[in-house]
This record gives sequence, C-alpha cells and structure tokens, in this order.
Amino acid sequence: MNPLLQVAGIGKEYRKGSQSFHAVSGVDFSIARGETFGLIGESGSGKSTIGKMITGLEHPTSGSLLYDGTPLWTDNKFNRLKPGEMQIVFQDPQSSLDPRMRVQSIIMEPLQALPAAERKAKGTTEKLHALITRVGLKVEHLNRFPHEFSGGQRQRIAIARALITDPAFVVLDEPTSALDVSVQAHVLNLLQELKRERNLTYLFISHNMSVIRYMCDRMAVMQKGRIVETGTVADIFNNPKDAYTQTLLSSLPSLHAKKVDNECSTEQSLEKSASKSS
Amino acid sequence: MLLEIKELTVEFTSMQDKIKALKNVSISINQGEIVGIVGESGSGKSVTALTILGLLEKNASIPAGSITYKGRNILTLDKKELQALRGKEIGMVFQEPMTALHPTMRIGDQLAEVIHRHRRISYREAYQQAVISLAEVQINDPELVARKYPFELSGGMRQRVVIALAMSAPPDLLIADEPTTALDVTIQHEILKLMQDLAAKRGTSIMLITHDLGVVAEVCQRVVVMYAGEVVETGTTEEVLHRPNHPYTKALIGALPDLAVPGQALSAIPGESPDLRNRPRGCVFASRCADSLPICVEESPVLEQAYNGVHTHQVACWRREAE
Repeated sequence: MNPLLQVAGIGKEYRKGSQSFHAVSGVDFSIARGETFGLIGESGSGKSTIGKMITGLEHPTSGSLLYDGTPLWTDNKFNRLKPGEMQIVFQDPQSSLDPRMRVQSIIMEPLQALPAAERKAKGTTEKLHALITRVGLKVEHLNRFPHEFSGGQRQRIAIARALITDPAFVVLDEPTSALDVSVQAHVLNLLQELKRERNLTYLFISHNMSVIRYMCDRMAVMQKGRIVETGTVADIFNNPKDAYTQTLLSSLPSLHAKKVDNECSTEQSLEKSASKSS
Repeated sequence: MLLEIKELTVEFTSMQDKIKALKNVSISINQGEIVGIVGESGSGKSVTALTILGLLEKNASIPAGSITYKGRNILTLDKKELQALRGKEIGMVFQEPMTALHPTMRIGDQLAEVIHRHRRISYREAYQQAVISLAEVQINDPELVARKYPFELSGGMRQRVVIALAMSAPPDLLIADEPTTALDVTIQHEILKLMQDLAAKRGTSIMLITHDLGVVAEVCQRVVVMYAGEVVETGTTEEVLHRPNHPYTKALIGALPDLAVPGQALSAIPGESPDLRNRPRGCVFASRCADSLPICVEESPVLEQAYNGVHTHQVACWRREAE
C-alpha cells in the first residue's frame, strides 16, 4: 500500500554567515493512511522542525517529502495540494489562539484558505455547532474569547480549528504537554475518538514516552536531528535496540520505579518492568 | 519533626471575592526525609510552599493554622527573622532556572555572594566554596562554569546551579517546586538522583512539589496528595501509589497513559475542579466522584487513618477503608 506521507532523506540546515547548524539530517520514515506515527525526542532533537516542514512552515534544505505521491516542496516553495487537507495542533493553546478573536472566528479561520464553494459547504452553522459540541464544548462558547477558557478547553478549541476543513492528516505537536494529567486523559481520548470517526492520520510529536506508547502504532526516536530507531511501538518499548532509546526508557519515571507490589501490579506493568530490566 | 504544618488555611482576596486556596492543610516533614506534594493546577501545592517561605502576596491572609519549623511558628516571625530563615535554613528551587538566576552576573559570583552573606567568610573564601559546591552538584569543570553567565548554560546545567545555590547555606529544608518540569527526561533523571544524594549525604529534608506521580515514585519516601486546596490522602509512597484509597488518587493514577492499554479509552475524571470562591459544603471531590454517598455532599470528611489489609495511611473520604 502506498504511504500517505513519505519522508525521504530530509534535512534542515540553518545558516548564519559561515556557521551552519543541522537541525534535521537524513530523516526517513513513512506514514500509512489511518496510522498514528509517533516522533519522540528531547528538546532540540528536531522533531518539531519535521512537523513544520510537513505543514509548510519551514522548507527542507535537502531530501523530499511526498504526500499521497505528490511532492510537498519544489525548491523553497510549498505546494498547497488541497487546502485544508493537512492541519496542525500546537502545544501551547495559550499562545496559539488569537486573544482578540472570538472562538467562532478562531475555528472558522482556516476555511478562508478554501475555495468559496467548499468554504460555504464546510462552514455552515450546523457543521460548526456539531463540531464544537463534538470536541466537548458548548454552542454558547462560540461567542467568548480564549482567556475565558481553561487550558484543556483551549486545546479543544485548537482541535476544532484543525478539524473544520475536514483534514485527512493532522500533525499534533505536543498537544497535551501543557495540560494536567486528568485533562490530558480527556484530550487523548478525544483525539482517539476523532481519529476513528474521521479516518484521520496523525503525526504525533511528543517528548512523553508513555503518551507515545499509548497513542501510536509506529514511532521513530530522534536524537540530535537524526532518527536513531524506527519501529512499531511494541517493538521499541519491549526491545529497544539503540543505546539512546534505552537511556530514554530507563530515565522515564514510572509509578513502579520502586518495588512493584504483586497484588496490584497488572500484567502490563510486569511486562513493562521486565522489559526495563532486560 | 523538622517542619509541621497544622490545619493551615490560606485565603486570597481579589475584588469582592474570597478565594480559599488552602483549607485545613496538615503536612509534616522529618529530618532527612523527601516528601512529595502532588496535585494538579489549583490544588494548592505551590501556595503551600510560598506560605512556608513567607512569600505570599499582600492580598493573602492566613485565618487559621500554624507552621512550626524547629519548634518556632514561622507565621509569627517578622520580616527580618523570615529573611534570616530563607536561603539559610530553608532553601528553594523553582521550576524555571533562568528566572532564579541573575542574568548578567557570572555563576561563581552569584554563588559566592550568597555564601559570603550566610556563612560570614571572606569573599575570596566564599568563591572557593562556590566552586566546590558546583563540583558537588556534579558539574564537570566547575572553575570554568563559575566564570560563565547563565545564558551560556543548558537548562539542566542551570538547574544544577540553582540547586547548588539553594544548598550553599547549607539549608536543613529544601523546597523544590516542580524542579524538573522544564527539563528533558534524561536530565530530569540526573537532577532527581542528585537531590536524592544530597538528602542522603547531608540529611537535608526535601519538600518536592510536582504534578508527576512518576517523579514521586522515583524519589519520595512519603507523599501528600492535594486536591482543590485540601490534603485528600497521605502516607508512604508505596502505599499511596500502590494501594490508593481516595477516589481522586485512584482516578489520577487511572488517568495516566503509563499503564493504559493502547486502543482502550483512558479513564478520565469527569467534570472540573470546584470553584475555590465557592467551596462545596461537603467533600471537594464529591461532584466528580463515581462513588459518592449522600453524606459526601453534606459534610466534609476529615483526614483519618485508612486500613486496607496490612498497611495504613491517612485518607479524607467517607468511603475510606476502615477496620
């Protein structure tokens, strides 16, 4: 089967005078339709830069990106294949929502990139109301400003904004990193449900190993701009081959960091601690 | 007992509203112990730290409770006495290391200034001590780092410097408010180990404030779970995390993706935290609790011993398991 997104040898080099810095180099991976692909790494590993190159915010300095068989970049120009086909949700819902816009305008804004007929079809009041309630907010919230919402609610607004154009592919760049654990659980559940309902394909960028393990089918581990390991989530967690992946996994603070109590440890946690000690 | 917080209530006044940020909070820390204070935003964990340090804003009032540090009630100390306590007796480490450091002063001088002030030794001696304390937080080449400015260091290095700064007096109690939240996991691991070493070597007590149950499991001997300004459960880390008794603690652990099965929904907690301006009459968690009883909305439960087979810890819940 043809992958929806194919990343082949892409690199990003930042230059300043005679100095150059390779934020990303020689990265390959592909994402199948309907898959959730995780990109994990620490700060500065280049994971967000990859998300930006896919969504047209930064141009790659080498390699190629194919979306559904078509190149996304010709030289430094982003080919917008079909407007609204691809969307992104950022980490910080505080800074990614315009504080002076009402929720309704925020959610509707991406439609402006669409041709008039499509804009009209997708931007009906009915659709807007269905979407806002689907992400767990109320119709009366549409008239309010972002500051009137909690962090979790703001992220729901950002998700609605990403989905208004009916995208097929969504880049999620640390979508729950700024949220409390109990709020994160709601947002992750919502993202899973929406994926099923709308046949979405996700690129899930995160530094959180447990979130990646829970959300993704396959994943790539990044370090200093390169991918050190790619594979299914189960393979990488149970049998990490690369030394850096092993360090990442052993650094992860776990509820079972101390003595695991037999009574209440589930099969999963035993499996986890077994894979850790191996 | 090094520190004992007893039935502490803290209120903030803003416009006409009175916000009760802490209600009846009791926490104790023994010498050399690492105690985790865990909770989500708005749980009151940071307010607790600020109250101990006497750093509450002017609009705060403390209508009830006491904080006893080495037998003295901190709440009755004047500004000067508090200043003598802060930094020297009680050290602090905050989340963002950049804001805790002076941006245009070399690392060595920042440390030397504090040591010079607290230990009454010459500046030259203090500077030598500063270099030693950088080595103690496992900074390679401490002489070189001492000559650098904060912006020249990575986040992990900066947090080490802040810990060195906080430990330089050296204090008997270290209050660390989300000390590793801004750091990468591999660096977080090193910083936690470092704090653990310091506690073991010097007998420093640490109050570790965090939202991360994994961090608590890794380094804390005891844990205090806070929700909406109240302590809902407390006990040894082992007991609280592996045999949680309070529905909130259970729900919080259940909401973690760590142990969840991919493909199955996470057990998220319904509803939202209560409005602190208008605290419910009964249990603060009742409106979100799956097991609430009629009494839960009527009367607020107090922290009492729970019993669950072999071990005991304290829980504020009407449904706590009792003998």
